Amino acid sequence: MSKKGMNRREVMGAGAALAALSALPFDAHSAEKLVAATFGGTWSEVHRKFLAPAFKKRTGAALTQAVMLATQQIAKLTAAKGGTPPFDVAILDEGPALNAIKLGLIEEYNPAKSPNFGKLLKPFQDKWGPSVTMQCIGIAYNPNKIKTPPTSWEDLWDPKYKGRVGITSLASTLGMAFLADINRLAGGNESSMDPAFKKLKTLLPNLAAVSANFGAHAGLFAQGEVDIGVQNFNFTQTLKSKGVPVEFVRVSSGTPAWRTSMHVVRNTGVSDLAHTYIDTHLTADLQTALQQEPYNVIPTNGGVPLCCLVKSQIAEKPSDLQKMVFFDWTKINAGRPDWTNAFNRQIRV
Amino acid sequence: MTNRLALLLPKRGEWQLALPLALFFILFFIAPLLLLVVISFYNDQLMTTAGTGQYISFFSDGLNLTVLWETLLLGVKATALSLFMGYPLAWFAARAKGRTQAFFLFVVVLPILTSVVVRTFAWVVILGRQGLINKTLMALGLASEPVRLLFSELGVVIVLAQVQMPLMVLPLMTTLQRIDPNFADASNALGAGAWRTFFKVTLPLSMPGIIAGCILVYAACVTAFVTHTLIGGVRLLYMPLFIFQQAMDLQNWPFAAAISVVFMISVLLIIALLVMLSRSSRAQIYG
Repeated sequence: MSKKGMNRREVMGAGAALAALSALPFDAHSAEKLVAATFGGTWSEVHRKFLAPAFKKRTGAALTQAVMLATQQIAKLTAAKGGTPPFDVAILDEGPALNAIKLGLIEEYNPAKSPNFGKLLKPFQDKWGPSVTMQCIGIAYNPNKIKTPPTSWEDLWDPKYKGRVGITSLASTLGMAFLADINRLAGGNESSMDPAFKKLKTLLPNLAAVSANFGAHAGLFAQGEVDIGVQNFNFTQTLKSKGVPVEFVRVSSGTPAWRTSMHVVRNTGVSDLAHTYIDTHLTADLQTALQQEPYNVIPTNGGVPLCCLVKSQIAEKPSDLQKMVFFDWTKINAGRPDWTNAFNRQIRV
Repeated sequence: MTNRLALLLPKRGEWQLALPLALFFILFFIAPLLLLVVISFYNDQLMTTAGTGQYISFFSDGLNLTVLWETLLLGVKATALSLFMGYPLAWFAARAKGRTQAFFLFVVVLPILTSVVVRTFAWVVILGRQGLINKTLMALGLASEPVRLLFSELGVVIVLAQVQMPLMVLPLMTTLQRIDPNFADASNALGAGAWRTFFKVTLPLSMPGIIAGCILVYAACVTAFVTHTLIGGVRLLYMPLFIFQQAMDLQNWPFAAAISVVFMISVLLIIALLVMLSRSSRAQIYG
């Protein structure tokens, strides 16, 4: 190279070399690398802190955990359909999971590759992928503003909470489960949401805000925009651990709940690693650690005794988890587009 | 004729300099856009049968048209407010000298230096029920209950006008600086007052800047997904969130593509209108 720096030919040559380099496979040891989706907030925190080290210890493989909403995971897998998927393990709530199965985005889970699969409670063993936890909803309220803890959804309709109630759109399982439950209590079922919409209309005067997604929903409580509203058990605990004055109560009419499962993505080159990653999430050790405060992740492994807040607020023993209110998400998925439009129409200012 | 054409076209070989950018645009903008248009012409979610079904269903539902109309109107309101507040600022900045002008310019550009998410969140803190404005109002006894600014259209308009302000002020400043001060002096000398001079001389001469600013701010305001969502919430549904809802929450790509195309064409029409306005105003001034 000349003293004056690179001449034109050298620059071109270096550029070509760089281009050639970048055309090589991203990682020569790509067979030993796993990319797993995780949810934001508590989930990514516990997956980084506990699941990642346990998985690396078990396999020695490299791991990347990427925060993505369920809908984003499905969008990305749909866009990459037929080619190499952008990640190998998906984490989805019940509704999106059924969608992913329908769209052919995930492969069947092989219990032979997962020694801990059989230790899960029966409802959490699914041939498309095990439930790694369960989520449930109830009412969150600000104890500084509301002295008598609410007990049922009806409390949200109480005139004294005019302009103070927060609900969330149907974009999240949280919003969808709330609508399905008030529908159930108003005498409807998953085939028609008319009773729910009729009931929702009478809630409008009490609404302070309808959040666009569950991230914005947490903000409503954190910024004091709402004093009472529907919320997820785990999100409430996360908010509380950050110093937000908020308490969670289950509603007396039964606790709406859903499974959150992990899945091996179709066409992943590392199916074995993906199974091991998911299996690690099913171990009693990991689920015991995740159940501690401030995480409060509900275990699905029957061998993990319930403790802490999960025991005092959600269920006494593992079998109680099966007695919660579950919905038919295949039917809910089918109705979702129409209900989203109806929801848009009804809540519009 | 050939000579004039030769003057208009770049010299032989010069056009090659634009090739990398053109290629980049074709690959990463034109191609995806065409893909979007193609997807919008599928009747079903799984994209098996082609047709105009998505467009028909968009135009046959009154709510969709309301959402489109209110989004376009929101842009008009926010752009008007931005112009109303930005013009004086640009005027002072254009007249300021040396360091003062540098300071003005810094203040104008400052918002662009932070992310739009951060800027919007700052407004959430200001407009909230327990925010700065409401606390002040209540402390002064001007309101007994918090005023609803967050999740209201007024709030969205205020925030958009501030967040997009630099796009209005910068082109205005440039135009105002280029106006020969002798014009205003001549007008004064001929007996026109300050206001008359402003409306008859300065304002018409700054029209190109006003229109450039309005085009930029308008396009930014109607597509400001983050601001619409964080400040407006879902009860005020605007097109960007509506598109997101259809594409992401419901995975209905053909419908989302169709409403994107409709939205894009509507915004383009409004911008074309502004461009025509600028042509006619230029024709008026320069005859």
